Amino acid sequence: MLAREVKILFRKELGQLLRNKGAMLTALFLPLLLMLIIPLAQVLAVNPDHPKELPIPPDVSLPPGLAEVGKDPLATVRLLLTPLISMGGLLTPALTASYIFISERESRTLELLVALPVRVGQILQAKLLAILALSAPVCLGLFAIVGGLMLSRGLGSPGYVVAMFIMVAASLAFSSSTALFVSLLARDIRTASNLNGLVLSPFLLGSFIVMAVVPGTTLASAVIAGGYLLGTAVVLLLALRVVTFERMLR
Amino acid sequence: MADPAVPPLEVTHVIKDYPGNVRALDRVSFRIASGERACLLGPNGAGKTTLIRLLTGALSPSYGQVRLFGLGMESESFLQARRRVGIVPQLPGMYRDLSVSDYLQLVKDLYGRGDIAEVVEVFGLGPYTRRPMAELSGGTQRRLSLAAALLGSPEVLLLDEPTVGLDPVSMRDVHAFLRRIMPGRTVLLCTHNLAEAEALCESAIILQQGRVVLHERISALRQRAPALLSIRAAQGPERLLAALAELGTPGRQEEEAVLVPTPEPTTQAPELLRRLLAAGVDVYECRVVTPSLEQLFLDIIGAADARA
Repeated sequence: MLAREVKILFRKELGQLLRNKGAMLTALFLPLLLMLIIPLAQVLAVNPDHPKELPIPPDVSLPPGLAEVGKDPLATVRLLLTPLISMGGLLTPALTASYIFISERESRTLELLVALPVRVGQILQAKLLAILALSAPVCLGLFAIVGGLMLSRGLGSPGYVVAMFIMVAASLAFSSSTALFVSLLARDIRTASNLNGLVLSPFLLGSFIVMAVVPGTTLASAVIAGGYLLGTAVVLLLALRVVTFERMLR
Repeated sequence: MADPAVPPLEVTHVIKDYPGNVRALDRVSFRIASGERACLLGPNGAGKTTLIRLLTGALSPSYGQVRLFGLGMESESFLQARRRVGIVPQLPGMYRDLSVSDYLQLVKDLYGRGDIAEVVEVFGLGPYTRRPMAELSGGTQRRLSLAAALLGSPEVLLLDEPTVGLDPVSMRDVHAFLRRIMPGRTVLLCTHNLAEAEALCESAIILQQGRVVLHERISALRQRAPALLSIRAAQGPERLLAALAELGTPGRQEEEAVLVPTPEPTTQAPELLRRLLAAGVDVYECRVVTPSLEQLFLDIIGAADARA
């Protein structure tokens, strides 16, 4: 159960986020593009009854993750969608977090908050929850539309859609914890954006590599989800133990 | 029920280190008794704001204990103690997307009590309740900070440079509010304005380079410091200083006058004047000067520097 102070601060944070046009644009536009419009275009472009086979020469040896494409032409859609959708889950909270963490530090309003009867950890907890409260319904909701359409058109198994759903949730958790970590290090939004790119890029690239290396898109999605959850634990540990919240006040 | 023997503010052997081997506070210890109005003085970088942040629980000490009403920040009941403390932070930013009334409501919710209408009236915030905080003038922002600090009817006030950056009129208004709200409360006022400290507080804690060099009642400080004779001579302060040196009497030039420590001015001043006149120094002004807190502070800081 959430502490009383966290609930009060969460209401304040969410209210401010919803009133912030820049934050709302980031929270809605990016996932709309990455997790709905582009995936929908790909899903609707494929004819599941007469899928177009890829002309792969028989003597070409594909990595295990791409081998599925030779057997099932519809796998191409899954191979492209998986990293794209994980990208939406990674980027949305990270960008929204800049407004909620860094702007408070830049504008020195954090001084007002720490003068109130709350712990610094509660302030950060409320901010993290506000980020998730905004980005999770948007990202998971948009994916639910795409996932449902994929199921109805036979482009993915129920196991694949569930694995993807878990991957999106894990990417949100990872991105939010990374946003907290970056906000402890960066003093301004520009530095935060650069650091976000530095931290998230390897994972974005990694998701493509996993898709190529791990056989089966369902298993690959699960591996990516596992990687994000492990990353969440590591980043939170670094933020709490190594960097600590005191940096926010310097 | 609060234990009256427990001091509201207590700092015990606190060391605070920042990364890069920066020691902000070095074995600081003091306690502020209930009802005491203390000022925290020190040059820039002495550790005053770090101390205030430790008292609020925003920072934790590297070593030692900081307690509010006997409770450390690791205690589960620490927030209960925090709700008995009102804090005016130093030059905080103001929200662009929260109105004055939104912010006071947030403060009231966190303290769990408070009459917003009353503080709005007391601090003259009525015309501004719907305005975003960032659009207020500096003086009004400071009144808002004071209103927020008082909303929860705290027993303790921590004021970190409450008048810094204000014009004289706003400063006078804030001082008037402080004089009304401070009696009956335990106060720790962090300030550079020594006249303000002298007017509002009864005891002084002087910090220098992270250490407490003095914690004493201001009245006792004055009694320790000898009265000064301010002497002016027609030949100028340099000639006067030279004459005093010949008489074996130390003095310090201050603009066109020379200040001479004189523990017993009633008996010592006439004798000194006779000797100066006999030496050919044309003294035309001689008066007893009570050292100001600023002068006491500079003397103490200077002495601490010399010892270091």
